[in-house]
Amino acid sequence: MKLMSKRAGILFTLCILFAAGMMFLLFSYVKDAPKWATSPVNQHLYKGGELVRAGQILDAKGVMLASTVENERVYNPDENTRVALMHLVGDPAQGVGTALQVTYRSKLVGWDYLNGTYHFGNKIGNNIRTTVDADLARAAYAALGGRRGTVGVMNYKTGELLCMVSAPSFDPAAPPDIESDPEKYDGVYINRLLSATYTPGSIFKLVTAAAAIDNIPGIGSREFVCEGSYDLLGTEITCPAVHGRQSFEETMVNSCNIAYAQMAAELGPETMTAYAEKAGVMKSPELDGIGVANGHFSLNNATPGEIGWAGVGQSDTLVNPLSYLGYVAAIAGGGDAVKPHIIKSIRTPNGFPARFELDLPVDESILAQGTAGKLQQMMRADVVNGYGEGNLAGYGLSAKSGTAEVTDGKEPHSWFCGFLDSETAPLAFIVIVENGGAGSSAAATVARTVLEAAVGA
Amino acid sequence: MEEVVPYVTRFVFPLLAVIVFFRCLLPLMSGGRRTKPWAYLVVAGGDRRPLTHWENSIGRSPSCDVVINMPSISRIHAVISRRNNRWYISDMDSMGGVTINDEAARGACIITRYDKVKLSGLPVSIIPVAYDDDDDDDDDGEYEDGFDDKFEKRRLFERIAESAARTAERFGNGTTLLFIILFQLLGVLNLILTAGAGFSLKIPFVFLLYILLEFFYFVGTRFSGRKYIEPELLAFFLSGISLFVCASVNQDAVVKQFAAVVLGMVLLLVMQFFLKNPERARTARYVFAVGALLLLAANLLLATAQNGALNWIRIGSLSVQPSELVKVAFVFAGGATLDRLLSSRNFMKFMAFSGACILALVVMRDFGTAVIFFVTFVVITFMRSGDVKKLSLIIGMAVAGAAIVVSFLPYITARFSAWRHVWEFSDTTGYQQVRTMVYAAGGGLFGVGPGSGDLRYVAAADTDLVFGLIAEEWGLIVALVCALVPLALAVFAFMSVKSSRSAFYAIASCGAATLFLVQASLNIFGSFDILPLTGVTLPFVSNGGSSMLSCWGLIACIKSIDERHRAQSLEYEYEIDE
Repeated sequence: MKLMSKRAGILFTLCILFAAGMMFLLFSYVKDAPKWATSPVNQHLYKGGELVRAGQILDAKGVMLASTVENERVYNPDENTRVALMHLVGDPAQGVGTALQVTYRSKLVGWDYLNGTYHFGNKIGNNIRTTVDADLARAAYAALGGRRGTVGVMNYKTGELLCMVSAPSFDPAAPPDIESDPEKYDGVYINRLLSATYTPGSIFKLVTAAAAIDNIPGIGSREFVCEGSYDLLGTEITCPAVHGRQSFEETMVNSCNIAYAQMAAELGPETMTAYAEKAGVMKSPELDGIGVANGHFSLNNATPGEIGWAGVGQSDTLVNPLSYLGYVAAIAGGGDAVKPHIIKSIRTPNGFPARFELDLPVDESILAQGTAGKLQQMMRADVVNGYGEGNLAGYGLSAKSGTAEVTDGKEPHSWFCGFLDSETAPLAFIVIVENGGAGSSAAATVARTVLEAAVGA
Repeated sequence: MEEVVPYVTRFVFPLLAVIVFFRCLLPLMSGGRRTKPWAYLVVAGGDRRPLTHWENSIGRSPSCDVVINMPSISRIHAVISRRNNRWYISDMDSMGGVTINDEAARGACIITRYDKVKLSGLPVSIIPVAYDDDDDDDDDGEYEDGFDDKFEKRRLFERIAESAARTAERFGNGTTLLFIILFQLLGVLNLILTAGAGFSLKIPFVFLLYILLEFFYFVGTRFSGRKYIEPELLAFFLSGISLFVCASVNQDAVVKQFAAVVLGMVLLLVMQFFLKNPERARTARYVFAVGALLLLAANLLLATAQNGALNWIRIGSLSVQPSELVKVAFVFAGGATLDRLLSSRNFMKFMAFSGACILALVVMRDFGTAVIFFVTFVVITFMRSGDVKKLSLIIGMAVAGAAIVVSFLPYITARFSAWRHVWEFSDTTGYQQVRTMVYAAGGGLFGVGPGSGDLRYVAAADTDLVFGLIAEEWGLIVALVCALVPLALAVFAFMSVKSSRSAFYAIASCGAATLFLVQASLNIFGSFDILPLTGVTLPFVSNGGSSMLSCWGLIACIKSIDERHRAQSLEYEYEIDE
């Protein structure tokens, strides 16, 4: 029988294979079960492809944004609120992949490893309270006035997003036929704040300036000369205006291309890349587990001319709006980057917390306090000497505008980002109006309207 | 009441399942692999070697049961076997030969303690240890001659194993059965409380009968002194789950499934009778093999297609799946006693039989079962021959053949195209796998409750996707227990080989375990898209009468290797057989 015992090893091999298969199954289960259970295939949770057995989504003040009543998903009674918050909440067909009804569906459904989708007493799901303000979102969507673009407002002390709006949008309570008007609904399922990337244009000068402050000795006393055009080792750098002689501080108000191209070329590709990385251009932070698009910055084998244009924010650089909002918030916060948040709380129907995350503040210092302070001053000077404060006097509005040239012959995209230097309203913001035209007017007007709504001015 | 009971019991079910599983597993894994000798072989007038099996190989090779390390002895020189209370010696074509009273031994020759046996001139003699008759019940009195105290000096772990086995005996299988019955009673209570319109009173009635059946089987085994019934208890637990599966998916099938369990237990007893004596089993296997081939032939002639496969015969309202019944015959046919297995390396007969079975299954398009048979064939053939080269050749040829068959059948290719990509085909070829994963995950660890799931509305939820159905309704823990039973039986079979009486039992047991294991793999991994979905049943659990019947028959094969009754027999009598 010794012989048979040896040969029975073949059965033991099969046992090992079976055990390995079961381990693999369990591993897949642990990894993917939340995704499986909440798939739209699940007839227990979805009706006609729409998530119906799910908890409420509320705004920061507790306003209902989405809820389930008698096995039907209902949204906020006001159409403008529904449209403005569609990208946050989600649409019936789950077209917006970053919306809470997709990314947080297992929490909304109330799925967990122990109980699956089972709820004692037939209650449904968990309720999610977000950090956004429905009124502010409505104001922001209205301010965009039918143009494509996005508005993000963040509390730079806590990282909470108060406003996240992307246009175009539609009413989730009455989804239109997207196919019927591809022009109107171009990229309608994209939340532009999270999932789009744009050429930054002049707002990128905040990155080049930070690098220059830290790395060019005596930058504060340097004089830059602008004659409208400059030959940077064979590449022509142009400026929309002739700024003449200017100090480092004045280059920001003037948004002088020639000055920033010279700085970038002097700093070199390694330093520029390091500061782009600090600013989070290449790697965007997640928004409470929701994926955010990464930007692009590369100076591999770049000529001095290309480095110069990159320092101005043109060339092939791309930034994600939320990620850049984080950089602006870090400047406003004295150099400390805060983690962005969109979820305030998740609670069971009985009011118990349904999320147990040890959310330690992982504020990371990305700029020296002095550097951030210098940038704050320059951005403040921009407003005082350039853009103007409008109704926001007393809130310390500080900002930088940008114009991103587009290739298809249309009007350039208009950027406006900045912050309020205010204890009561510590807000950072970013606005893009696609094809909004050159200069600060289009995006700056939207930003001012939104900020006025935010501070109640 | 309607709400609180299901809420509480859903935590009790996994607990009971785990308790039942471990109460059966521990005795299977711990005690009883200590063997007492059936006889002693006296080598060269002095050296006493215990013969601990009914079949013992003698030779120079370290893999022999009795190793005689002398140059004149062949690697495998002879086999000494016990048949019907007599001892036989067979020469394994040794160089030096075997002589009995100076006459060359031809075939299997009876020897007694008075015969002068020589292996290449080396004198050996046998001192048998007395037993009544090996054909009778398992509480045989055991005799041991006192001059070898080797077995008194038991090693520590052997003592631990024995005390574990005794503890298991004291709080034994009766308690385990009570846990099983409690599980089933609570399950029925749940079904009644959550029942909607159309709940048939047949269901509680069938469960009542089933519980009585379990009880009487237990009492019956107690009276006949067969106390090691863990494999049956596991089968009872799983068969109970299968009744719940039927109650959830297809209430009309409950009565039929219960009838299949009853028939299965009859088959178990019949098989145990045949298996009691390896010689009897050896003869019976020809009958089984011919019966199997006739069944398959009948199937090919009378088949009706169901779900793409032609593996059903319909007799009136009754449909039978002959390939399931052939499984029992297949394992049986593969068995061989050690003397035959070592002397004739020729296993053409078994190979031809296996080839015929597998070919028939391919023609029936029952590819899942064909794979199960093939792997079992490989295991049995390896245990019989130990020939790695020949087996590699066969496997290579089979894989190439399968590849050709698959490439010619678009129906199969379609299944393979969805494999590992089912989410992209979630409404076509991946429909069933995707639903299995979705609803299994929906059940969590504790399930949504029997009869309350959503997977039951998907086709084949009670057969091919049954693991997912249990995961949804009873929770992942109960589903895992169902999946681990075949593994536990296989490990038991593997561990028991070295104490097995006969090679026949070792092969039958390992063959049956292989069938269970491969079948469970194809079923579970197929429904979770780890393997292609082939549509085979989960042993004991899937709805299906023929499958249930064959599983209970195979339990007899698994049990044939169980020697615990002998190892733990506490009666010692010091009397030498005459």
